[in-house]
Amino acid sequence: MNFQDIIFNLQKYWAKNNCIIKQPMDLEKGAGTFNPDTFLRCLGPEPWNVAYVEPSRRPTDGRYGQNPFRTQFYYQFQVLLKPSPADVINLYLGSLKNLGIDLKSHDIRFVEDDWQSPTIGAAGLGWEVWADGMEVTQFTYFQQMGGFPLKPVSAEITYGLERIAMYLQDKDSFWDLSWSDNISYGDLHLESEKQWSVYNFEVASIDMLLDLFEKYEKEFRKVMKKGLVFVGCEYVLKCSHIFNLLDAREAISVAERTYYISRVRDLARVLCSAYLKQREKMGYPLLKKDKK
Amino acid sequence: MGKDLLFEIGTEELPPSCMEEGVTGLRKVLENKLSESRLEFRDILTYVSPRRFTAIVKGLGEIQKSKEEIVTGPPAGIAFDKNGRPTKAAEGFARSLNLRVSDLEEIEIKGKGLYLGKRITEEGKKTKDLLGDILKDSLLSMSFSKQMTWSDYDMKFVRPIRWILALYNNEIIRFNIINLTSGNVTFGHRTLGPGAMIIKNTGDYFKFLKSKGAVIVDSSKRRELILRQINKLEEKLWKGRYKVVLNEDLLKDIVNLVEIPNTITGNFPREFLYMPKELLIEAIQHHQKYFAVLDKSGNVSTRFIIVQNGIKDTGGVKKGNERVLKARLKDAAFFYEEDRKHDFGHWTEKLNEVIFFSGLGSMYDKAVRLKKLSIYLADLLYGSSLKGKQDISPDLVSASLLCKCDLVTSMVVEFPALQGIVGRQYAREKGEKSAVADAIFEHYLPRFAGDILPSADVGLILSIADKIDTITGMFIAGEIPSGSADPFALRRKASGIVLSVLKGKYDFELAGLIDCNIKLYFESFNPKDIDGSKIASEVRDFIIARLRFLLEKKGKRPDILDAVLESGCGSIMDIYLRYAAIEEFIINKDIKRIYFPMTRCRNIIGKKEFGEVKKELLAEEYEKKLFSSIEEKKSKIKNLVVKKEFTSVLTELDKLGTVIDQFFDKVLVMDKDEKIKTNRINLIKKAVDLYMMIADFSKLVVDRN
Repeated sequence: MNFQDIIFNLQKYWAKNNCIIKQPMDLEKGAGTFNPDTFLRCLGPEPWNVAYVEPSRRPTDGRYGQNPFRTQFYYQFQVLLKPSPADVINLYLGSLKNLGIDLKSHDIRFVEDDWQSPTIGAAGLGWEVWADGMEVTQFTYFQQMGGFPLKPVSAEITYGLERIAMYLQDKDSFWDLSWSDNISYGDLHLESEKQWSVYNFEVASIDMLLDLFEKYEKEFRKVMKKGLVFVGCEYVLKCSHIFNLLDAREAISVAERTYYISRVRDLARVLCSAYLKQREKMGYPLLKKDKK
Repeated sequence: MGKDLLFEIGTEELPPSCMEEGVTGLRKVLENKLSESRLEFRDILTYVSPRRFTAIVKGLGEIQKSKEEIVTGPPAGIAFDKNGRPTKAAEGFARSLNLRVSDLEEIEIKGKGLYLGKRITEEGKKTKDLLGDILKDSLLSMSFSKQMTWSDYDMKFVRPIRWILALYNNEIIRFNIINLTSGNVTFGHRTLGPGAMIIKNTGDYFKFLKSKGAVIVDSSKRRELILRQINKLEEKLWKGRYKVVLNEDLLKDIVNLVEIPNTITGNFPREFLYMPKELLIEAIQHHQKYFAVLDKSGNVSTRFIIVQNGIKDTGGVKKGNERVLKARLKDAAFFYEEDRKHDFGHWTEKLNEVIFFSGLGSMYDKAVRLKKLSIYLADLLYGSSLKGKQDISPDLVSASLLCKCDLVTSMVVEFPALQGIVGRQYAREKGEKSAVADAIFEHYLPRFAGDILPSADVGLILSIADKIDTITGMFIAGEIPSGSADPFALRRKASGIVLSVLKGKYDFELAGLIDCNIKLYFESFNPKDIDGSKIASEVRDFIIARLRFLLEKKGKRPDILDAVLESGCGSIMDIYLRYAAIEEFIINKDIKRIYFPMTRCRNIIGKKEFGEVKKELLAEEYEKKLFSSIEEKKSKIKNLVVKKEFTSVLTELDKLGTVIDQFFDKVLVMDKDEKIKTNRINLIKKAVDLYMMIADFSKLVVDRN
């Protein structure tokens, strides 16, 4: 199954299982979790079932294209089910089966992996899912976002698309994956992976990044004063990404690191609190839709 | 005789770390709730597999024990008038129970007398009617150190609960909790099982789950099976040419990650074998939970063991796992190569950025403290004269400054369990002396109860210094362990100090080392409002308490420890030697000849102020004799204590006993003349002081006959 077909397959599967299929957000971010369709929508009482592809960036994971499956850029397929349904794991296993994985001849394992993202004050409990030892999915019951406890709890299913593709296509490296019948993943991403690794580790201007962090942080405070929650969300994400770049450049000491994380977390907290209030004021529109 | 109760809590995949907590908790709540409900049972057995906690209550009685309650009203004297007719008080009481006075009786209440009352017997209910509430309460009472909520329920558990099975005497016990109703349905293996399975007989549970459900519920059986499979590989297939590295922690985890274990062997490319052995083994074990395999000469081989969840492999499982390990090893090699580009200078600089603990500076600051502290300790132990020993101070200085460096290497950041091991490896590669390289690894020892100890002085001293420094630092920061809370494992560190001191036979007063350590902290951090001397004595007591704990665990006598500690001795080695001498004396000689005279002396002097003995006031023969005996023994004993010849001290004290006995026989301490009396008490105090140079023998538990 080609890489693009895996995406089609998952989209169809989850659409059939009561999810809306959204498109990625046009902003750098470390994971699908940072997309407001998860980051914000997991807050408050409104039901929400969504699936989308999320191109993600983790500058420190770059390996100049040398490692077969560690890269600074990759695709996630993100599913958020709120509230988490009782048969959620079977739903997930159904999606693997639908991708053509024979569950009786492969070792599918749920290995404890409690997840937290201190930068956005998020925490959850769950597993990494192994398929014959390969971590193909991160499965999390969100417990907290922006420092706020969540009720109802969402189940977040994050597929590592490249890893699933390696598995399905029996390839040893991301770069050898077939994206379509005649274009490989490497054709599309290897050169850019090398370039971005050089940039992230060696070139990125530290002064500029430090300066941008300050400016974005300021802009966040400004837009939040006007109640522009969705705009504010983007500035939190920008700050978070800049922090990641600075981290890759080894530009911040361990002590400063904690300080930067606490600054981003503070923005996330302000954002989440404002979102919660805004939805309440709007009378939780999706709650009403659910009842119809 | 009672019947069996089967109770299974079906969950989503449990973290191995919670399993022990879960089974212990389940047994405890059931024990409590059943006993509270006056239900009798023979035994409670608990089990855990990745998707279930199971309890079997053996021989649970079918009827609750009945309960008799006595309700009392007015005293008998008030309840009836002269004519024996019930008074208003009696009638009122009877009414309150909906009874007539004639239904009541006079009951003797212990210590109070006769009262009008009623014995009310509550008949035992049927167990099966009570169990629903009991099981529900039990489930709700279970708690875990890490819990979660799911969907929109308020209930907390370690992972979501998906089914509940409750059978008593093969009858379903029904109760409701969140969205679930208990029943007779269980689930087997997620992908190999048949889905929902009905359990009709409690006795079929294990058999049925294994044969139809592909689940071995009993973790000890899963463990046995894994070991058997590995053993078969080693003996039958490899014929002793290869050996599996059976890491116990890893095995424990794996046992709890599979419902039914199935062991297969994989291979990785030879190109990774150039990495140092320990790094390679950790890379194999750490993320993927594989077992490493060694060849006959003890080198890592390209084989590795996968314990998977019962799948009959058609090739995909092996291939998949091989692919993953190859990439993991590639990553480890990447980190190793990255580290090789740097040296200890670079890492030392980076240590500045690693915080040791908030308010207590960086790991570099710690390394500098360790240098000073370990040199101080070495001086304390060897003084200016090295007694023929080679001067280890240069090695101590190097090892102190290098021992924390590996914390900033890529390898340790990626594989934290390799701290110390990577440091030793890189020190060897960079050409450090082997004594220094070994000490870098050994200063972390012991890492857990029963672990090995440092092998040589440099490692031992650095290990003691490092642990003292962490404990002292945490006490300064106010992070003092209390109850079961010991997040920085300070108790384990204190135990490590004790064991290293005993191994090295290091005799030094803890107080001096701790004072030196506190001074080092205060020089650089100047913590406000902190009483250094208070911290010093707390740290000392904390470590001595661990010494006591360790010795008592070994079956040593607490009373002897009390006696020795009362002497005020603050050297671990010294305390240990005194203990050993007294214990030996008790076994071979008659301790009563020390115990009784000393206790008698101690009791008579009380706790007042004492003065010097005035020689001119000594009139009687036996008090003179006691005086001269004490004078003579004082310097002798002092000398022996310094030389740690405690057995000889005891022999001297034994002899002193005779003189003391004679003194008490012949001399009246409580003389009419106050001056003479005081002088005699002062004399006895001198004798007590002599005993106290080694121990307070009055604390011993001695058979008084």
